[in-house]
Amino acid sequence: MAVQPDLTVKIGRLELKNPVMPASGCFGYGEEYARFYDLGRLGAIVVKGTTAQARPGNPAPRVAETPAGLLNAIGLQNPGVEEARLKIRRLAGYGAPVIVNVAGHDTAEYCAVVEALSAETAAAAFEINVSCPNVATGGLSFGTDPQTVARLVGELRKLTAKTLIIKLTPNVTDITEIARAAESAGADALSLINTLLGMAIDTGSRRPLLANVTGGLSGPAVKPVALRLVWQVAGCVGLPVIGMGGICCAGDAVEFLLAGACAVAVGTANFSNPQVCPEIIGGLAAYCREHGFSSVRELVGLARRQEP
Amino acid sequence: MAQLHRFLVSSHEQATTGVFLLRLSGCLAALPGQFVMVSVLPDSIPLSLRERPGEGFKPAAASAGCDPLLRRPLSVHDCRPGELDLLYRVAGRGTALLAGKKPGDTVDVLGPLGREFPLPAGRQAVLAGGGIGVAPLFYLAKSLLAAGREVTCLLGAKEQAGLYREQELAALGAEVRVATDDGSAGLRGPVTGLLREALSRNRGPVYACGPEPMLQATAALCREAGRECFVSLEARMACGVGACLGCVVPVRRAGRDETARTCVEGPVFSAEEVYGCATRPDSENRPSGT
Repeated sequence: MAVQPDLTVKIGRLELKNPVMPASGCFGYGEEYARFYDLGRLGAIVVKGTTAQARPGNPAPRVAETPAGLLNAIGLQNPGVEEARLKIRRLAGYGAPVIVNVAGHDTAEYCAVVEALSAETAAAAFEINVSCPNVATGGLSFGTDPQTVARLVGELRKLTAKTLIIKLTPNVTDITEIARAAESAGADALSLINTLLGMAIDTGSRRPLLANVTGGLSGPAVKPVALRLVWQVAGCVGLPVIGMGGICCAGDAVEFLLAGACAVAVGTANFSNPQVCPEIIGGLAAYCREHGFSSVRELVGLARRQEP
Repeated sequence: MAQLHRFLVSSHEQATTGVFLLRLSGCLAALPGQFVMVSVLPDSIPLSLRERPGEGFKPAAASAGCDPLLRRPLSVHDCRPGELDLLYRVAGRGTALLAGKKPGDTVDVLGPLGREFPLPAGRQAVLAGGGIGVAPLFYLAKSLLAAGREVTCLLGAKEQAGLYREQELAALGAEVRVATDDGSAGLRGPVTGLLREALSRNRGPVYACGPEPMLQATAALCREAGRECFVSLEARMACGVGACLGCVVPVRRAGRDETARTCVEGPVFSAEEVYGCATRPDSENRPSGT
């Protein structure tokens, strides 16, 4: 009888029973996936990007499939922080820590959401979305400038003692500048990547497939890019990194851990396989057993050690 | 409750050019109007790693099953104990791959999903299908006829070859009327050309599925006639379970313009909700599942 490997990891003040969580925007507020498995099995649950006021989102069509990928331009549709609070409370009942993804069109809105939930026991941590590519203001425009990121993180740091995770965009020239800016301003962890800006055109109608014209690309198509960015960021900051981008199976998750991520988030893969998260948790344990690791933490950054 | 199923293909026939009837053996408790999300990947490619505790780690499968990435939404065409029928038109890469499934292959099915057609209060119902829009209506007709309702089926297509299930519906006891754009069968013109006359004989609600202009015209005629109308919509979908918010449709509810998720709040909507809405996008925004 093989010893069950230790899958626990720590992200800031968060202690997770395993390093696997659904990614923001791909899991709603959890209720849709509760019918497929016990959500308490997840390391954490990251909910939909939440703003101070309700947002209607972008016009349809909002999604378009591309080779091994998915373009989306949902536009941060969400019910606003007060209705989200009720959903978060219900979700917390499953037992996995709930990480609230926070979005806004300006610093004041990010602050309003964090302030509203800073005393909310159901919210275990905040993931600050400075990387949404599908809204006109805020989102991506915040995440491409190191000074802006530092200022925002500094403001949020004053408002909460909860774990602050900054979600980075891949749509920058040098992601390490942004990562370091977030670290120096008091972030507890970084998560990456958000989607890559992309588009697709319908040759029949000769119009963009998305009503928003551009959208964010996710899915296996972006995985090599995401892995490279995680590698770069994990090499330049001391903060724990949550890696994501196209993870579909335990093998993909292991790659991100080996590149230096402490935990992983699974996004688009939930759509094709609603049970993908528990499958990956099981697969990680199997990988550790088969390769003689007593803890999943031993994998973190292991690929870096062979660097010449 | 929506579940993941792995069903065996018992038969797979081309009903007419580019339209396939896929018969699966397996138990699914679907109601008329509901749909399923099917994986179109060939059996040679596993859908996912299928990693479960005790099964071990399979790195070889790590990048398999990623393209096409998404399942395809298909309406339930018929559902019998132990059998599920899907009728679909090859519209793109995904459905073309699905068309390659042979008897004995398996199909990964997520469902049943979405809201069903509300049943008529009275004894009658009018069903109007444009082209492949007959897909969900067949199961509805069958259920209504089995419950002793009178069913008028109006089927429309570009040409005679595009009319599906006409004989089967007649054999079940439905009154079937057809219309074709080129006049090769029945009335020349759109299927809505049959509707006014049908409404004068059949007092039941109207259930419609088909291309956007046909649904709009049907909704307009029903409103004019003061007749209740339900439409089954298509939309590009990613998750099919309500999480991604990708398949929203503008609706008007209680005097307010809002959006509804086609996958969980539909695909069946009251025509008033959908076509009473000011911010309706044009029809090119409503493609079928490809």
